[in-house]
Amino acid sequence: MLEHKNAIPAKPVRVVIIGAGGFVGSAIARQLAADGVSVLPLTRKELDLLADDAAAKLKGLLQPGDSIVMVSAIAPAKTVPGLIQNLEMAEAVCAALSETEIAHAVYISSDAVYVDDANPVTERSYLAPSTIHGMMHAARELMLKSATQAPVAMLRPTLIYGAADPHNGYGPNRFRRQAAKGEPILIFGEGEERRDHVFIDDVAKLVSLVLFQRSAGALNIATGVSTSFCDIAHTVMKQFPGAVVKNQPRQGPRPHLLHRHFDITNCLKTFPSFHYTQLEKGLALSKAGV
Amino acid sequence: MSAPVIGFAGLTHLGLCSSVAAASKGFHVVGYDGDSARVKDIAEGRWPVSEPGLVELAGAHGARLAWRDDTGALGLCDVVYIASDVSTDDYGRSELSEIVALIDRVSTVLKQDAILVVLCQVPPGFTRGLAFPPARLYYQVETLVFGRAVERATSPERFVVGCADPTAELPEAFRQFLDAYGCPILSMRYESAELAKISINCCLVASISVANTMAELCEKVGADWFEIVPALKLDKRIGQHAYLAPGLGVAGGNLERDLATVLCLAENTGSDAGVIESFVRSSHHCRDWVLRILHEHVLSGRPDAAIGILGLAYKENTHSTKNSPSLALMPHLKSWRVQMYDPVVPGGAVGQPNAVVAKSALEAARGMDALVIMTPWPEFQKLNPIDLAKVLRGRVVLDPYRVLEGAAVVAAGLDYFALGAPPLRAESGGSSNDPVFVQTERVG
Repeated sequence: MLEHKNAIPAKPVRVVIIGAGGFVGSAIARQLAADGVSVLPLTRKELDLLADDAAAKLKGLLQPGDSIVMVSAIAPAKTVPGLIQNLEMAEAVCAALSETEIAHAVYISSDAVYVDDANPVTERSYLAPSTIHGMMHAARELMLKSATQAPVAMLRPTLIYGAADPHNGYGPNRFRRQAAKGEPILIFGEGEERRDHVFIDDVAKLVSLVLFQRSAGALNIATGVSTSFCDIAHTVMKQFPGAVVKNQPRQGPRPHLLHRHFDITNCLKTFPSFHYTQLEKGLALSKAGV
Repeated sequence: MSAPVIGFAGLTHLGLCSSVAAASKGFHVVGYDGDSARVKDIAEGRWPVSEPGLVELAGAHGARLAWRDDTGALGLCDVVYIASDVSTDDYGRSELSEIVALIDRVSTVLKQDAILVVLCQVPPGFTRGLAFPPARLYYQVETLVFGRAVERATSPERFVVGCADPTAELPEAFRQFLDAYGCPILSMRYESAELAKISINCCLVASISVANTMAELCEKVGADWFEIVPALKLDKRIGQHAYLAPGLGVAGGNLERDLATVLCLAENTGSDAGVIESFVRSSHHCRDWVLRILHEHVLSGRPDAAIGILGLAYKENTHSTKNSPSLALMPHLKSWRVQMYDPVVPGGAVGQPNAVVAKSALEAARGMDALVIMTPWPEFQKLNPIDLAKVLRGRVVLDPYRVLEGAAVVAAGLDYFALGAPPLRAESGGSSNDPVFVQTERVG
């Protein structure tokens, strides 16, 4: 649950986005610019967090009173070396933060930090990652919290989709690209697994809201509506005339947890005026390249 | 032996109802409270609590009731109950220092052979830890139910009495008083009695949690929980009086207190209380049912939405707002205009600038996009859905406790949302796949 340090929303003095070149980071930068916020976007070009001088360089770029958004990660982290690299990146950020009086830190984490069988997932669900990727995010959350006295918000998005997503994982992005290329939309088995998919612009908007209210604590970024891959595939199909959906044999066994649902009541309480983009609309916006 | 004189120290909800019940059994009663203004109010008929039948019963037996703000009169009593409500913090933990102070104050004035009975909710070990002669010290389980306190106090199912020596006979004066109620008396060691009270409440919460869990499933799979309830009640292992009405989580303070006590005891002793944690989680989830429905069906589509709220008390027939779902909802509606009404609780209890107090239930509905019946007060049953449809701006009625007849609400052109069944939509005439809600007697 988030606690707002700013009871009345106030524009941050400056927001430093670490990892501004990626899918999520660039969307956050666009949203903040639209909200009139001064932004220092740091991509790998300006700051390589794996370089030896990363901590010193970041420290030199930070100013007292900055808000920072840490989104940079080598994701998904599937191997032990990948885990260590991600922790080294966070270590550099923590070293810089520990020597600068920042106003606020926001960490873009993941719902992978939660125990696999949490259902519905809430911010009170147990943190018990079953993957290296989840453990990486859980560890980085703790590292950041320990590195600064400033309020820290940990935002845990579930599956994100949007036009610019470079990943082509099973779900809305891949389905859209398959349909755009005139290929059949392929779903595994009956595509019956239900997951919660969140539109990239909603992630960016929530990050902005969190920054304006200088919120601390944890918030899941999920719509509260879980949809089967089959239904998503058919929604995409309708948006691309001539597209077809094809079933293909499942690769490996059916997932242990067939469906994953989120209870987003905390979000309703924390940001009562914010409402998520419905999947059908988000898919249409993705198709339009918005 | 002549009839013993009974004393009650602490004239909050528990002490007041217990005092009046004792007088109704033919005993002379001294009711003591250190708050002079409170005692004056009671003596002059301005009752600080609202309970059906309380004023009438007190009036009928007033000649045997003496209200005092000094402890002196307790020195005349043969049996003295410590009967103050025990306040709790936001986590449901008891604040026991006030009770200890009250016991210290009272015990110094008692007759040498007077019996002291702790009637308040205390954790296991509390009574044995008191500095009072064990042979004259007892703990008694109270089973007060808000809104039914007089009935419960005058007609208990049984007495559960905690003793230093459960094999010994109860003292004559104490026995004579308890016998007047005509119910079984179960004597046991202090700790067993203290934990019996907590066990009773845990069983009630278990029933409520099952009802809430299954009711939510009903809403999603097209079943109606109120069609299922009679089948459960006819099962002897569950019973006619089981708490099976779905609700907006556990409220009122007392049940939460016992859940908190068990969690604390489990932590201290290394016992597994995972099931209790689940009850607490389930309760929090249910409390937000209204908020979720409002966002999904009203607030997400109307930034300028206005909401009517009926009921602020945590349940009907009480003035208590302790852990009231209605008050828990209000802070989350700060971004919208709210009109509210409660027959007993003053609107000032909410203390939010966006919420205005209406003079009646119908006025609270006027011009609103949605009407939410948060407390099942009997007077709300008299609302005519046709009148509601005329004054409402929107079409949504949330009636978690089914105070209104769902079919009548839909017939008036309104959408109807209740716990335990899928919503009834006016546009589909409440028919097709939507089950027709069955009005049944509520329990608990």
